[in-house]
Amino acid sequence: MDSVDKDKVTVIDATKIDTSKYKREVKREDDAASQLKSTGLLNTLVYAKDRAEKRDQNVILALVDQVVNWGRLCSIWPVTSGLACCAIEMMSMSMGHYDIARFGSEVFRATPRQSDLLFVAGTVSKRMAPRLKRLYEQMPEPKWVIAVGSCAISGGPFVDSYAVLTGVDKIIPVDIYVPGCPPRPEAWLYSMIQLRKLIKEEGVGITWGLDK
Amino acid sequence: MSIQSELKTRFNDAVIEVYVQKDGKPGVVVAPESLAEVCRFLHDSGFDHLSLISGTDRVEWLEVIYHIWSYTRKENVVLKVKLDRDKPVVDSVASVWRGANWMERETYDLVGIRFNGHPNLRRILLPDPWEGHPLRRDYDMSVDQYVYIDEDGKDVVTTDASKLLREEALHGKN
Repeated sequence: MDSVDKDKVTVIDATKIDTSKYKREVKREDDAASQLKSTGLLNTLVYAKDRAEKRDQNVILALVDQVVNWGRLCSIWPVTSGLACCAIEMMSMSMGHYDIARFGSEVFRATPRQSDLLFVAGTVSKRMAPRLKRLYEQMPEPKWVIAVGSCAISGGPFVDSYAVLTGVDKIIPVDIYVPGCPPRPEAWLYSMIQLRKLIKEEGVGITWGLDK
Repeated sequence: MSIQSELKTRFNDAVIEVYVQKDGKPGVVVAPESLAEVCRFLHDSGFDHLSLISGTDRVEWLEVIYHIWSYTRKENVVLKVKLDRDKPVVDSVASVWRGANWMERETYDLVGIRFNGHPNLRRILLPDPWEGHPLRRDYDMSVDQYVYIDEDGKDVVTTDASKLLREEALHGKN
């Protein structure tokens, strides 16, 4: 290539660019009604009302359900617990790049008594199994479990081993299974979305001690 | 003078066989009675790092393999002892290399070789009441052993799956 024609090159001074036209406008809801609308609660309530009418359920109870569910699904706090290499993906998922904070789950609690969700991330050995079960029993209701990776689902490559439990669902009930060895962080996030859907469908108010 | 011929001249009767491993390391098969003596000599002549102790079940006999490395001579040597299957006992080298302590415990745990003179010969990976040594060929794989924690916080090993598993898993619904 020949030498650059200096007359045609325009030098841009970055300090003199008018940035005001590129500025993003941040919408701010001033009144309480539009603030509430931005949380998505109203949409879920409309959804709950439709669903209850379809199923011939009590509409008022269903709405109460949905408020409770909405509160729960927006702040699912996981336990800080990792068993094997899947836990490395869990760290990756909870950090800024994939950012589980978008779903309100960034608060990994160091004690099971403050958490709602248990990620079984890795191989469950026979010796670890009673400890994991105790961890699950120490969590307060309501609680959910996501089994991550082929080891936690079925034993994975260690299925013939003398020391590995073939599937964590033998000791604790599991809500969602995430296959992979280990699963990508996107798969974890997809499982979070599925869990939120699961919680949304729960009829908490109906079994909320009212049936006892 | 290579370490093999050094050992051969010094411990003539104790050295049963001299060979070269597939990865090029010099190997020596030593009589079990004089293992501690040979190891002490190796340690004093510059082999200051014990990389690995492992046990193998060769069906007719049991084997313990010692991979030893010298930081000063930049040299490897591999020791092997062949042990009687019914009475697998060999001297501990934990007093020669401190790092042998846990590796010998692991070999005891998984292969079931007893080390004479070991300061604390207990299982290291499996819980203490576990039946059998899993890397032996005659280990019974058909029996599932489960671990649960009793009221004192100690590990208890049982073949009764109902102590640990859920009812759905016991009755095959899962």
